[in-house]
Amino acid sequence: MAQATHTYTVTFGDGNTNSGNIKDSFNTNIYNSDEDAKIMRWLSPLEPENRHHTVRTDRFEGVGNWLLETTEFQEWRGGEGGADKAGLFCFGDPGVGKTHLR
Amino acid sequence: MVAWLYCDYNVPQEQTVINIMGAILRHVAGRDIPDDIRKAFREGRRPLLADLKRMLRIAIHSLPQVFICIDALDECLPKDLPGLLGSLSDIVRESPSTRVFLTGRPHVSEVVQRYFAKAVAIPVSPNPDDIRSYVVMRLDRDDVPEAMDNGLRAEIVKIILDKMSNM
Repeated sequence: MAQATHTYTVTFGDGNTNSGNIKDSFNTNIYNSDEDAKIMRWLSPLEPENRHHTVRTDRFEGVGNWLLETTEFQEWRGGEGGADKAGLFCFGDPGVGKTHLR
Repeated sequence: MVAWLYCDYNVPQEQTVINIMGAILRHVAGRDIPDDIRKAFREGRRPLLADLKRMLRIAIHSLPQVFICIDALDECLPKDLPGLLGSLSDIVRESPSTRVFLTGRPHVSEVVQRYFAKAVAIPVSPNPDDIRSYVVMRLDRDDVPEAMDNGLRAEIVKIILDKMSNM
């Protein structure tokens, strides 16, 4: 695995205070019908939207922008290399800011 | 189209490969539920992983480009990771323009590499500029501004940045 040498970004607050993916709050109003809402629940009980909202709300503007400027990110984003280069893996210890990258 | 999922160690039992792939499919399919998904639901079958992958492939093909982001792979049960990464790798092989963005603690690198051998791995660590601007913002919002002066402000910023560089 090719490894780049960038060492920035930060998370604010405890990145592990998860608000949870599961709340069983599928709102039937946003789907076309009751059946659509049931299909959505049938597909998965996980509701990543809830966590996403919390992360977006807590996120401090500009944090993680360094990642977008890296050659590695831009090449990955551009879709060069097809399936071989489809993966980008950001790794780091707890609390360094992986969740709040953008 | 960007589909995302945050793994959460609080609900490991719910975070099966099927449920994660189902959540991604729900995201990619959007509000216009594809007919084959509706059909499977009406037939009352539980979705199998193979069904979800097939439906996801069809949904992805109808879109210009799909990004799948999964945060905190280390918060999945280790037994689920090979199935999850293998499924994502299958999707990518069938739809090579799909991009997969993953985050996790260093120890999951090995299993990621097994399924995405040529993935770029980027180490993430705290950025002093990010920390400084955040601390300054928080100090500006302090609810006892009369207790603050420039000397104290500079000292707080310095101590926090010093502690961070020792992390």
